[in-house]
Amino acid sequence: MRRYLAAYRVCLRIAVRQATTYRASFVLSSLIALAANLAFPLVTVLIYGSGAGFPGWTADEVLLIQAVFTLSTGLSGMVLGAVVWVTTLRVREGTLEVVLLKPLRPLPFIVLTTVQPESAGVGLGGAVLMGWAASRSVHGLTAAGVLAFLGLFVAGLCVMAGVALIMAATSFRWVGNARLPEIADSVHAFGRHPLRVFPGAVQGAVTFVVPVAMVGFYPASALLGREAAGMWPAAAMCVAFLAGGVWLYHRQIRNYQGVGG
Amino acid sequence: MEPVIEVEGLSKSYVTYRRGKGLLRRERVTVTAVDDVSLTIGAGEICGMLGPNGAGKSTTIKMLCGALLPSAGTVRVLGYEPFRDRRRYVQEIGAVFGQKSQLVWDIAPIDSFAMNKAIYAVPDAQYRETLDELVTLLDVADKIQVPTRVLSLGERMKCEFIMAMLHRPKVVFLDEPTIGLDVIAKAAIRDFVRGMQARGTTFVLTTHDLEDVERLAEHVVIIGGGTKVFDGTLHDLRRSLGETRIVELTLARPAGGADLAGLGAAGLAVVGRRSELEVTIEADLRSLNPAELLATLSQRLEITDISIRELPMERVITEIYATNGR
Repeated sequence: MRRYLAAYRVCLRIAVRQATTYRASFVLSSLIALAANLAFPLVTVLIYGSGAGFPGWTADEVLLIQAVFTLSTGLSGMVLGAVVWVTTLRVREGTLEVVLLKPLRPLPFIVLTTVQPESAGVGLGGAVLMGWAASRSVHGLTAAGVLAFLGLFVAGLCVMAGVALIMAATSFRWVGNARLPEIADSVHAFGRHPLRVFPGAVQGAVTFVVPVAMVGFYPASALLGREAAGMWPAAAMCVAFLAGGVWLYHRQIRNYQGVGG
Repeated sequence: MEPVIEVEGLSKSYVTYRRGKGLLRRERVTVTAVDDVSLTIGAGEICGMLGPNGAGKSTTIKMLCGALLPSAGTVRVLGYEPFRDRRRYVQEIGAVFGQKSQLVWDIAPIDSFAMNKAIYAVPDAQYRETLDELVTLLDVADKIQVPTRVLSLGERMKCEFIMAMLHRPKVVFLDEPTIGLDVIAKAAIRDFVRGMQARGTTFVLTTHDLEDVERLAEHVVIIGGGTKVFDGTLHDLRRSLGETRIVELTLARPAGGADLAGLGAAGLAVVGRRSELEVTIEADLRSLNPAELLATLSQRLEITDISIRELPMERVITEIYATNGR
């Protein structure tokens, strides 16, 4: 573990050095990522401004869900944002050997070496938006509510990681699929709306099958004091999802074939 | 010599697809990249692995490195089973892939070295000592502080070697390490490998550059069509095509057709004529010993100079490739 932490410190320094090598690109990427992730909450403001909305949910409450979602996206993007495309690229180009030559588990190594500092802006934007939305929508916050939020928020990060790893694992067999990151993003997107806007089957699927409702909806609900059915079993499912993703990823390495030399 | 690499019946097959009839059809095919290869490499050896493109050299190396799971057979390197014991095993080995960089492109090599120091848990004092030594040996002191992307190919390859050697591996795999390098960079890399071998490091080298093999390897393995077609010393390799020698003659007067025809009758083959007075022949010393060869030549030709040498390596390899697995 000490080795992983030491490697993480060095890799973080390298990531910052890399990012600052192309300063303009770094700033631009950060701003674009932030703008893209905050555009959706803006649509919510416009919808509610026009008199429409999600039944049973105020604009501030929906914005809170979306702010939690944005914060999760920023944090997971920093740590795991590149895992899918880096794995896809390394499998397609036959450079995974470079990873497999290191005395670390391949997945942590890829995570260590692909930290994305530009996603910090998204996380920061999400945190600011969350603070603002929470100040307008959360009343009578309790310690239990905060703890529940934190637990569910971590579960949400687990499911995001799980989805990313399963997508990355498929690239060992589904070589060269450049759309995998987009598919992962589309799956996550179910978590940024109040759950009840979806049909029952979808609600069940995003709670217990691929529990992406945990990415935004459930943690925000806990903060709002709106306990939702299936919240905690879904959290357990998120952890199982992450464990499954890690197992599948490492299992699929056996199928790595390299490329012609 | 104590064996450090023992390979028995190693095979690797994979499934791929061949273009079929029609736009959307494709045919599933199983390709056997390596087929039943067995070999042993001793501690401190430099083993050159040769073979035409697609012969299975790189696949073999990747299995020896623990990067690919063999379909069949056993591999033991330094007592480890590479794929199964990968994390503990790779701590003991190094690798340089001529076409796959381990350096981080946008930052200085020194930062990549620091990353490997952390990953391999190299103690501070050992890291400083090894780095200073390698940087001096490869003469790149002023190169390791500038971004990798601005280095020349030769400088980059030297830094790749440092990256691979920082944790003091016992066995190093080199996959085409001199590809694309100029003669000076090649010489520096070869000197470095020789120097490391003198300290006990074992090297396995795949290359298309026969000079790499001639200058570095005592032990040569040739892979063709996925199978091992030769395993022995460089000396054995040269002898594998018999006792054929190249004889270059300079003549006092031009040789006539009858003179040259007479050579053919004596079992000698004329293989080249650079000028009227310069003739190259091939002689098989199993049918004509050196004394008989000289006598036969001097009977038929008026010779002013003669040189006898072994078959060039390219010729030996070309013939072996042609007869095995092409």
